[in-house]
Amino acid sequence: MDFKFGEKEEQLRREIREFAKEELPPGWLAAMLEEENSDEDWGFAMTMSGKLAEKGWLTMSWPVEYGGKGASLWEQLAYSEEAAYWGIPGVGMGIGGVDWVGPSLMMFGSEELKKKHLPLIASGKPDGVWCTAYSEPNAGSDFANIRTSAIREKDEYIINGQKIWTSAAHRARWCWLAVRTDLNAPKKHQGISVIIVDMKSKGVTVRPLINYAGYHIFNEVFFDDVRVPSTNLVGKENNGWYQLMHSLGFERGSVAGRGCGYNRRILDELVQYAKENHLFREKEIRHKLADMAVLIETQRILACETIWKMSKGSNPVYEPSRDKVFNDQIAERLAIIGTGLLGMYSQMDPLQRKSKWTKLKGCVEALYWLFPGIAIAAGTDEVEMNIIGQFGLKLPKSY
Amino acid sequence: MDFDFSEDQIMIKDAARKFLEKECPKDMVRKLKEDKLGYDPLMWQKMADLGWMGLILPEEYGGTGLAYMDLVVLMEEMGRNLLPAPFFPTVALCALPILEYGSAEQKEKILSEIANGEKVYTLALTEGSATYEASGIELCVYLEGDDYLLSGTKLFVPYAHAADYLLVVGRTSQKGNPEEGVTVFIVDAKSPGIDTEVIPTAAHDRQCEVRFDRVKVPRENVLGEVNKGWDIVEFILQRGAVLKCAEMLGGTEAVLEMTNNYAKERIQFDKPIGSFQAIQHKLAQMLIEVEGLRYLTYEAAWHINAGIPSKLLISMAKTKANEVYQRTCLDGVKIHGAVGFTEELDLSLYFIRTKSSEFSLGDGGFHRERIACELEQLQPLFIGNCL
Ligand SMILES: Cc1cc2nc3c(=O)[nH]c(=O)nc-3n(C[C@H](O)[C@H](O)[C@H](O)COP(=O)(O)OP(=O)(O)OC[C@H]3O[C@@H](n4cnc5c(N)ncnc54)[C@H](O)[C@@H]3O)c2cc1C
Repeated sequence: MDFKFGEKEEQLRREIREFAKEELPPGWLAAMLEEENSDEDWGFAMTMSGKLAEKGWLTMSWPVEYGGKGASLWEQLAYSEEAAYWGIPGVGMGIGGVDWVGPSLMMFGSEELKKKHLPLIASGKPDGVWCTAYSEPNAGSDFANIRTSAIREKDEYIINGQKIWTSAAHRARWCWLAVRTDLNAPKKHQGISVIIVDMKSKGVTVRPLINYAGYHIFNEVFFDDVRVPSTNLVGKENNGWYQLMHSLGFERGSVAGRGCGYNRRILDELVQYAKENHLFREKEIRHKLADMAVLIETQRILACETIWKMSKGSNPVYEPSRDKVFNDQIAERLAIIGTGLLGMYSQMDPLQRKSKWTKLKGCVEALYWLFPGIAIAAGTDEVEMNIIGQFGLKLPKSY
Repeated sequence: MDFDFSEDQIMIKDAARKFLEKECPKDMVRKLKEDKLGYDPLMWQKMADLGWMGLILPEEYGGTGLAYMDLVVLMEEMGRNLLPAPFFPTVALCALPILEYGSAEQKEKILSEIANGEKVYTLALTEGSATYEASGIELCVYLEGDDYLLSGTKLFVPYAHAADYLLVVGRTSQKGNPEEGVTVFIVDAKSPGIDTEVIPTAAHDRQCEVRFDRVKVPRENVLGEVNKGWDIVEFILQRGAVLKCAEMLGGTEAVLEMTNNYAKERIQFDKPIGSFQAIQHKLAQMLIEVEGLRYLTYEAAWHINAGIPSKLLISMAKTKANEVYQRTCLDGVKIHGAVGFTEELDLSLYFIRTKSSEFSLGDGGFHRERIACELEQLQPLFIGNCL
């Protein structure tokens, strides 16, 4: 056994810290899910995407020919953790460009699609920004229930239907879309495909959905006779379900590294706040913070274990779900303990982060008001638990 | 024992629900969230006409003369319907202590103005330290001739921007322990030197910063006795906390109901999500918690009503309310899935109030400490009894 990162990763961490110091405004502290909300925040995130691309970090684990550096999974983990700790925005290229669109294209995409899209994402420019449209009003956890259809007509697909909860659709140039291509398939998992849609296409309408704290994170997206070239099909027609299980694995797998970096930052901020406000001597508070430290270290080492398995060539089955649920649980406890620590000051509107009453730049209340969103997105806790039960513990399917 | 509501209480409950469902539906709650004043003076007047503000004030002041327990029933309905109005500050935080500690003249003037809906009152208690401990009271008070001069800043004062009068808790003596040397003043909100600013809270529930710069208050506006004000604060903390619990209880009942209904309607995997055990058990746990909160709140309220000292029960009820309100809302949101994360859903209006309710009149830490202090002083039953 060896529980140390290598010198290469440590060197990378130092470089990222240096970068954060130079490129982020003094005292920068990122708040959860704020990136897509305002034009100002989005603009800044895009600038940072460009700079991360210049450094070669944005898509570091991709092969050189597609705009990556061929970095190891370990370097990738160190980068995710550091970027989240320092709150560097713009690491994702919208929802999924970096984390699952790119990797899925490398697995299933045609040479043409790879050549076109991978360098665009890797460039960190607005034309490489993605949204991911799976969910529909009647297809949430039961994702295979989608109805949005794509009908082949000569060398085009004609798309009709409605997607919902599509994050960053109001920022994205491209949509990673799950559709039904065979309306007569005997089972609902069959007949699903993945198609890439240019968000500028005629017939695409994006309507904002506003969160209870006033954030514009996600949208409804309507497809009304939208025509896309048939070459935009990713992989094989009607093979979408299989492909998407991989994409979802990439998505869930991207949570852990970032999660533990960000959670660690919030914990550090809370410890510092407690020290500065003479709260750290109170046993109850000390112990709560100590519990959080135990949880976050556990999270970190679990994330490392998942990477280790992958680095040995095995394909993790339940581990990304394990790491995702665990992150949700930690975020919830951190939010509750954090708001408890700030007391009355934690009632602040997270969108008024500059108000004079706001503590810790509003990151604690943003976490509290928004963590339910990350716990629901990419598979609810119950769905992830079902996966762990069925595939990790080999229990009979429960639903 | 008897767990039934009285006839009066059933009447209050039904009337309140009918009135609030009609006058204060959720789109009204949403509208008032963005409104400058944060409540509807017309609705306020109707509430006064229904006798709500004077519900437990004696008839001589224009009240109905009902009991504390009846007010608890009313507050529960207000919580269930999320009524945005300065009712809690005016009645729970001000009318009750004035009724208990006010002079004959003060009661005569103030209580009738409250009962008929003419005046809005609020309590300016907490400061920058944001604590309900007496040590948090630093607002300076000097005597100059026949007037007191108040200087300092109060924080998280509910509806101060709309208040006609404030009960201001100030420090009149630095000697002794912090609980001695505190005095409560009745202050005209329009007095020169008062500056009010609404704090942007997530709930948009109109809590304010109120700054006092040598604000003149005549001697006769002291409530109760000089330097004995902490007794009044303790009185407010106890009576108010249970009313806050009742409001939170009403909220949890509504959230449980909505979520339970949704679990029956929402179909995924060809079944209502409520048929999945993971969801069923969560809802079952919610039921255990909500019913526990309900009777703990009623028990504490009944003791107050009967005049039995009940500091322990009160703190238990608020500790429970803080836990249950938050847990119920969080699980309610999660059971709804993504739609639970939107402003569209009524449930979010309850969730967004979790923190302001929790920190109103004492968070879990504050009340747990009070419970522990009581436990420390109690003699265990088995000691001294032969075993
Ligand atoms: C902030 C946010 C961002 C999002 N971004 C995107 C996006 O970019 N693209 C996209 O396509 N989607 C997105 N989503 C949608 C997300 O994927 C869905 O919300 C999620 O899959 C759950 O579906 P649902 O909301 O319909 O809930 P439902 O599936 O209706 O679930 C409701 C409740 O039932 C439970 N449940 C359902 N099935 C079972 C079962 N078998 N066993 C036990 N419990 C069960 C759930 O756990 C949940 O508690 C986002 C959601 C959020 C909150």
